[in-house]
Amino acid sequence: MRALHIALKDLRIKLADRNTLVLMLLMPVVLTAIMGFAFGSDSGISEVRLAVVGPEKGSLLADGAATLLNRIDIFEAEVATEEEAREAVSSGRLSAAIALPPGILDAVVGGDPVEIRVLKDPASSIKAGIAESMVEQFAGFASAGGILGRGIYETIDGDAPMTDAERLGLAGWMFDWMRDAWSEPPIAIESADQEVRRIDVRSYFAPSLAIFFLLFTMIGSAKSLHEEREAGTLGRLRSAPISDASIVAGKLLGTYLLAVVQLLGLLALAALLFGVSWGSSPTAVVVMALVTAAGAAAIATVIAAATRTGRQTEQVGTIAVLVMSAVGGSMWPVTEKLEPVARFTFNYWAQRGFNQLVLYDAGFEGITQPLLITGLIAAVAFALAVALLARAQTQ
Amino acid sequence: MRDAAVIEVENLTKRYGSVTAVDSVSFSVREGEVFGFLGPNGAGKTTTISILSCLVRPTSGTARICGVDVVRNSLAARSKIGVVPQEIALYGTLSARDNLVFWGRMYGLPDRVLMPRVDELLEVVGLTERSGGRVDTFSGGMKRRINIAIGLLHRPTVLFLDEPTVGIDPQTRRSILELVRTLNEEGLTILYTTHYLEGAEFLCDRIGIMDVGRLIAVGTKRELIESIGATDLVRISAKGLTTSLVSEIEELEPVERLTHTDDRVVVNAMSGSNLLPVVVDVLTRGGATVVSADVTEPNLESVFLHMTGKFLEEPEGGTESDAQA
Repeated sequence: MRALHIALKDLRIKLADRNTLVLMLLMPVVLTAIMGFAFGSDSGISEVRLAVVGPEKGSLLADGAATLLNRIDIFEAEVATEEEAREAVSSGRLSAAIALPPGILDAVVGGDPVEIRVLKDPASSIKAGIAESMVEQFAGFASAGGILGRGIYETIDGDAPMTDAERLGLAGWMFDWMRDAWSEPPIAIESADQEVRRIDVRSYFAPSLAIFFLLFTMIGSAKSLHEEREAGTLGRLRSAPISDASIVAGKLLGTYLLAVVQLLGLLALAALLFGVSWGSSPTAVVVMALVTAAGAAAIATVIAAATRTGRQTEQVGTIAVLVMSAVGGSMWPVTEKLEPVARFTFNYWAQRGFNQLVLYDAGFEGITQPLLITGLIAAVAFALAVALLARAQTQ
Repeated sequence: MRDAAVIEVENLTKRYGSVTAVDSVSFSVREGEVFGFLGPNGAGKTTTISILSCLVRPTSGTARICGVDVVRNSLAARSKIGVVPQEIALYGTLSARDNLVFWGRMYGLPDRVLMPRVDELLEVVGLTERSGGRVDTFSGGMKRRINIAIGLLHRPTVLFLDEPTVGIDPQTRRSILELVRTLNEEGLTILYTTHYLEGAEFLCDRIGIMDVGRLIAVGTKRELIESIGATDLVRISAKGLTTSLVSEIEELEPVERLTHTDDRVVVNAMSGSNLLPVVVDVLTRGGATVVSADVTEPNLESVFLHMTGKFLEEPEGGTESDAQA
């Protein structure tokens, strides 16, 4: 009960602080709006123009892939050589080019992992990043579709070798299957009218900036441990008949409650101000938010517990948040090269969970993996924070 | 005042690496007594009170509050003490009332007990009218009073006051000392640390003099003064003070002990008022300019100076030489 009083006191103090409120709510909202204006007309991105580069010029595969991509409203695809594609991308005529490697059809039909290179101009990273992200999604679906398609083909035709036409036909079937598997169109592809579908950049940046600023707020909140020590209130708490465990629990709970208030507040503001739809499962959104808030609060507390002063917490925390956010996709979409590293960040998994909800309306089923990994990060960080704080109390 | 010991400390020692902050300190405080720790900054007063408040574990020795060991049963010991730290340990953005309510809850007081107690204490410290104001808008004295009120919320058996009058004006200091005396008259046992003579002399039934971690003397004011012999204190500030002038003063007949800095001489002597004009004459003849001079009858500062060779409120810069062994 005393832990709850400590938590509520901390929450009250933080919410009464104008600077905290600006950092918590105003900054992310303003930046999301700026991103919306900066990266798309009418604050959205119209269709993504792509080139498909085949293994060789005039390949049936490239033609087929372009045709398949054009079935999706968001893409406008054409066939090009790698040189033509690079020139078009660097001139800005195209957002990105998809380079299909030799043997991709066999890989897709065989259900093997599909690796597709995306050529893009670093200067136009948003559309290209979205294209890359979409291609990555398709690659994942393609692998799944390949396994399913191959199974169906072998059931019908036994061990007979497939012709190129049959393989392309199977690929087309798979593509249709993939498109159908997206039973609801991704939220990111929202209809402005019947003719044009658009990706709203704010649907990407609302969760990413929410996570970014959540971490910053948490660092500010967690450093209150040091502020209390420096002001003498922590000593006074410890001279009251209350266990150290209750004090630690109260401080952690206070930070967590602030995180929940901020994250749910930002999700609500994004919906109200920018029309961001968080999908059809409010429960999934709330659970994802609660777990993300726990992770951010625990990480910030670890940093506070591992540092000696409030100033150190702020400095180390700022660097940690910036690195995690840059690598993990809270500042810009995660690139293919960065992804292996990004997977080790809290931001990546939290962002992935929200992207599944906001872009694909994936519901609980679609966020299982990011939810579990974000929860795991939160649990490990929480345990570490408690251990560090307990050690600090006994010193 | 009754004879039962509320605080019992035996051979208490605290070391931080090679530094001994508290060195084999032993004392006891009786129920209803005001016991003062007098000593300069760094003497070990706050470390001792921190051990008694269960904030710091001693390296060795024992300390008991109402018979409860502060290490072995710290939760029980903490419920018996009220702590008023040297810092203004309050939440500045909360009101005075909200601070009191929060800390009352930390002491486990149910609301039906806490709320009337908060009103009562606001009245005691004279802040009923300002109870809704944010603490960070208060003057230093008002903050100090709330700081003390928090220590009283759960009606502790003993109140630890660690330098409660630091950084406030003389008038407010006086009002706080009077508040503490009233609390004691109502039966509260108080352990009071200070490096101000005024507070120690005004409040304390007994005084322990601490220096460099050691408790070097304990007794009533009269006992302590008698223990060093009742000499007057002659203090002279002068410009152009030289070593030879100091030596000349040191050799004057009535001088029992002399302590000096670059611009100040303090002399213990049996008849200070007779000695003063002689010392002024020596200084003037030697080319020094006397800035100020006074004679005081023996007090705790004389005791402290005699026992430690240091000025109590000027912990640095003093050197000592004894006129008589």
